[in-house]
Amino acid sequence: MSCIAGIDVGTGFTKAVLVEVEGEHPSGETLILGRGITKTGAYLEDAARHALEQALRAAGRDRDDIVYVAVTGFGRYAVGFRDIQITEITSGARGAIWLFPEASAVLDIGNQSTRAIRLDARGKVSAFKMNEKCAAGSGSFLMRVAKYLQIELEELGEISLRATRPQPISSVCAVLAETEIINHVSAGAAIEDIVRGVHNSLADRAVLLLRRVGAGSDGRDASPLVFIGGVARQRGMIVALEERLGRPVRVPPECEFVCALGAALLGLHRWRKFRSEALPPLTSP
Amino acid sequence: MRFAAGVDVGSTQTKAVILAEDGGQSGHPARSSDHVGTPPESPRIVARAVVDTGAHVSRAAEQAFHAACREAGLDPREIGLVVGTGYGRYKIAFGHAQVTEISCHARGAHFVFPETRTVIDIGGQDAKVIRVGPEGEVRDFVMNDKCAAGTGRFLANAAEVLGLRLEEIGPLSLQATDPVKLTTVCTVFVESDILSYLAQGRRPEDILRGVHLAIARRTVSLARRIPIEPAITFTGGVARNVGMVRALEEVLGLSIHVSPESHFMGALGAALFALDRLKRRAEAGAAPEERGWQ
Repeated sequence: MSCIAGIDVGTGFTKAVLVEVEGEHPSGETLILGRGITKTGAYLEDAARHALEQALRAAGRDRDDIVYVAVTGFGRYAVGFRDIQITEITSGARGAIWLFPEASAVLDIGNQSTRAIRLDARGKVSAFKMNEKCAAGSGSFLMRVAKYLQIELEELGEISLRATRPQPISSVCAVLAETEIINHVSAGAAIEDIVRGVHNSLADRAVLLLRRVGAGSDGRDASPLVFIGGVARQRGMIVALEERLGRPVRVPPECEFVCALGAALLGLHRWRKFRSEALPPLTSP
Repeated sequence: MRFAAGVDVGSTQTKAVILAEDGGQSGHPARSSDHVGTPPESPRIVARAVVDTGAHVSRAAEQAFHAACREAGLDPREIGLVVGTGYGRYKIAFGHAQVTEISCHARGAHFVFPETRTVIDIGGQDAKVIRVGPEGEVRDFVMNDKCAAGTGRFLANAAEVLGLRLEEIGPLSLQATDPVKLTTVCTVFVESDILSYLAQGRRPEDILRGVHLAIARRTVSLARRIPIEPAITFTGGVARNVGMVRALEEVLGLSIHVSPESHFMGALGAALFALDRLKRRAEAGAAPEERGWQ
């Protein structure tokens, strides 16, 4: 049974998603067969291979079943066994609109970059902005905060929801903000109030980026924003965004796999097109 | 003999300097134009001290001040006047006055190198470029205190990632033969940049040279926002890093002055302001000022 692989080589983690080619899902949706995730590290192609092997094991398939490999993320050019490379803007938008067809904007916060994407009525990307130069507003900031406060990264989101008096984090730099956090801790501020302050600071940065693509909403747009990437797992972050945007924020359950899924879907589309045109699929150079 | 102190409460370290001046020279600030690198004879530095600032800013200020008094063999009550500077200057309970670190660095740099027209000050968490007039007065300045890129913090992180001590990285960077090109100046992201270079087998000295050049380029682009006029004096804790001095000289295409007192330049400037004030009071015949801790 043939399947298509979508691999997202991110700065923190590499994700792989396998989708079915033959026989569609009973609901009419393409079936997601399996997922894999691994730390990216310095060897990008190895990370891609590991994530893919994991996804194959989860799907109960082997390498020969894969007919097309679409790769996205910052490390996409390092993956020699790819059939096509897709920007993480295109793949993120594709994955988000497949999960939430009514979406008009996408926010993707990963380990080292934040992307704001506006979608037109047909679900195509009409504008995007990204920040990949600075750690403020990125997932790596949260990782450092978790490490400093000695809290598991996964717990931050829940802890933040218990905040009663969020502490201000005024700095626009993740490193300088750490000093502020240290000061809050030594002044006796509650951990949940500090964590919420961090989420608020991240949300402020994200809203600025969304406004620059005309997706700030500011209460005038009730269509949902789809929030993807690993940071979307943090519930405190979702609340902070909803407070600021005045529009619903939707988060898919497997939020860190959305770009890999989008890549797989775009790969499937392309593979079908080739097949219908009776052309052989593109192979990597 | 009269004594005055300057306490510079920086984001990372707190520095104190005690100056002594012969009472007979009051009203005639001693300044020579022929020395290089070392402060003139009068007023002279009799003690200096440095402690980590940490979270308890006022305690750090007190510790640095008392350590300097001990080194000078003086009772704190013998110090006629204390001026505070640095980001934590308002937390100095025992000080008489506060002066911004901009003015203090300009004053200190001018005291040591009277020909100074531009001061580059790189501290633990900020970077400043100050244009100085012929009398050591501040004409203009630009600063980056919004982001740790291009500050001592950036270098400290780089050292940590490489498992080196902060004082090792400057000299090591000078042994580079093929410097790396960093893709980021973000203090957080540079860690993964460094790790990937290491994984690719690049040598630590080449990575470090790339790190120093990246900061130098950032500092010089900050400096270009105000006209850079020689002579340039480099102050702040990062000025002790020889790799940074060379990188700045390379990017600027100019040689720069660095004093052995560079780390204490802000505290020195504050002590000079303290001495001025002390002399003015003495000339006016006023009673000594009261201090919080007396």
